[in-house]
Amino acid sequence: MRTPVIDITDLSKSYGKISAIEHIDLAIEEGEIFGFIGPNGAGKSTTIRILMNLIFPSGGNARILGMDVIRKTREIKRRTGYIPSDANAYSSMDVNEFLNYCASFYGIRNGEGRIRELCGLFELDSKRRIGDLSLGNKKKVSIVQGLIHNPELLIMDEPTIGLDPLMQSVFFDQLRSENRKGLTIFFSSHVLSEIQMFCRRVAIIRDGKIIQVEEIDSLRKKQLKKVFIEFTEPVKAAELKFTGIQDPNEGPGNTLSFMFSGDLNQLTAFLAGKKIINIMIEEPSLDEIFMHYYRI
Amino acid sequence: MRYLCIITGFNTLEMNQVLFLKEMKRHAVSLVIWMTVITILISVTMSVYQPFMENQSKVLGMLSLIPKGALQFKGISNISDLSSPLGFYAINNVIYMMVLGSIFAIVTSSGILLKEEYNKTAEYLLTRPVTRGEVFLTKLAVMSLNVLLINVVTSLAGFISLEIVKKTGFSIGSFLILSLYTFLLNYFFGAAGLLLSTVVRRPKPITTSSIGLVLIFYFIYTVSKITESVSKLGYLSPFRYVDLNVVNAGYKADPLNIAFFLVLSSLMVGASYRIYLRKDIYT
Repeated sequence: MRTPVIDITDLSKSYGKISAIEHIDLAIEEGEIFGFIGPNGAGKSTTIRILMNLIFPSGGNARILGMDVIRKTREIKRRTGYIPSDANAYSSMDVNEFLNYCASFYGIRNGEGRIRELCGLFELDSKRRIGDLSLGNKKKVSIVQGLIHNPELLIMDEPTIGLDPLMQSVFFDQLRSENRKGLTIFFSSHVLSEIQMFCRRVAIIRDGKIIQVEEIDSLRKKQLKKVFIEFTEPVKAAELKFTGIQDPNEGPGNTLSFMFSGDLNQLTAFLAGKKIINIMIEEPSLDEIFMHYYRI
Repeated sequence: MRYLCIITGFNTLEMNQVLFLKEMKRHAVSLVIWMTVITILISVTMSVYQPFMENQSKVLGMLSLIPKGALQFKGISNISDLSSPLGFYAINNVIYMMVLGSIFAIVTSSGILLKEEYNKTAEYLLTRPVTRGEVFLTKLAVMSLNVLLINVVTSLAGFISLEIVKKTGFSIGSFLILSLYTFLLNYFFGAAGLLLSTVVRRPKPITTSSIGLVLIFYFIYTVSKITESVSKLGYLSPFRYVDLNVVNAGYKADPLNIAFFLVLSSLMVGASYRIYLRKDIYT
């Protein structure tokens, strides 16, 4: 059996009596694109910061590429790329200077080719001062520095914040391309749709605990929708007699709302006999998913 | 190398060249400004020496009317010391080289680690293939070199000024000892700044409180010199361990005073290192 690229065992971090993460176990295999999802404050960044040796765990241990994250931090970082959630690089440097500075830590003296390639891909003007860049462009700089040394593992903490949809698409395409060449990706986000679109497996974290680790396909099968319907005349929630209805609620002004994970054809068949003023079907928030699937 | 690690208590003596060069470049402007300001102040003050000597009797007569406490606040314990070029230099430049030099050292060192956290650049630095020990040692080397350079340049400026304005000879040995004391005092505050930066989280208050710390210690020192009843309070201030009596024939480096600076600076650097190795970095 191959050693997991990231192997987290019973990992905890507490600040006095407050636990940021509690007894986390996680294994990410080589070549995986693994999503790490949870609401803000769930413990995603804490876990990632321990992996990057920015903070120290209160208990348990974590290994990357078979090495302990505290004792072998230099070797790990030589082979790992990291894209932080904050995009604040050295504001007085220009993009090219910063990227060359980053590259020189890996002994890359002539990184110009790779820098030019990545800057071109992300449409970055390498001559501009980082302090003068927009958030989106700072984020691109952050992405490029994480990929500059062709890492074996890429750890990303909310990497798409600030990127426009077009650039997100370029970013994910690049990551898929790097993944095909063997890059393992550990990707934290609070946006379910990008995790579903990009990752093969996902761990869901809430209140510092891993609630579930599962394949994206099986998560998709549980696809939950938030439905809101406004009728011309009163409709009772009790009339919704097909499977997949959760928490039906009769609201003011002949409205009905509920969570739906069943067959959409059954829903449309039900609605065919009713007079509708308005209908909204939305992706639920993560909290709503947690509440409805995991009942916590 | 292993033995040196054991003696110093550091896990590694490796530095990172890339980081060293970047940090030296980052501090270059500030270093040049401080050097220039102190050098100008020294040169201007020393240029007064010749007119002072020409009107020596009048000026000394005027000074004798000033209360002794007020003179001591300025660092003048014996008016006649002013007639010696080295005495004049030591008394008049103490505030520039010792107080300003110490402020430069503590401001540089207190920001050198902490600013990476506050500006959120620590996430880029500490996720490179470098250990915490290497980062600390590299930044320590940058701070030490900055303090050394400012001392070398300002002492050189002082020496040249002395050579230009002197009417009588002065002891180069005594000048070098005074310069050594100044360096040790400045380095002491550099080490204190490093320690502060490992225990405090925000750099803005730390810069203000660092400057305040130097001024408070200088104030304690001067008050202890003026007021007999609180003279023992002076032992709490590192300024007390700098011997300014350069005109004394037997002026030499006091091993206890030197040891005071070396031991306390080493302890502060060692404590900063240990704390930084296990510090949670938040950005």
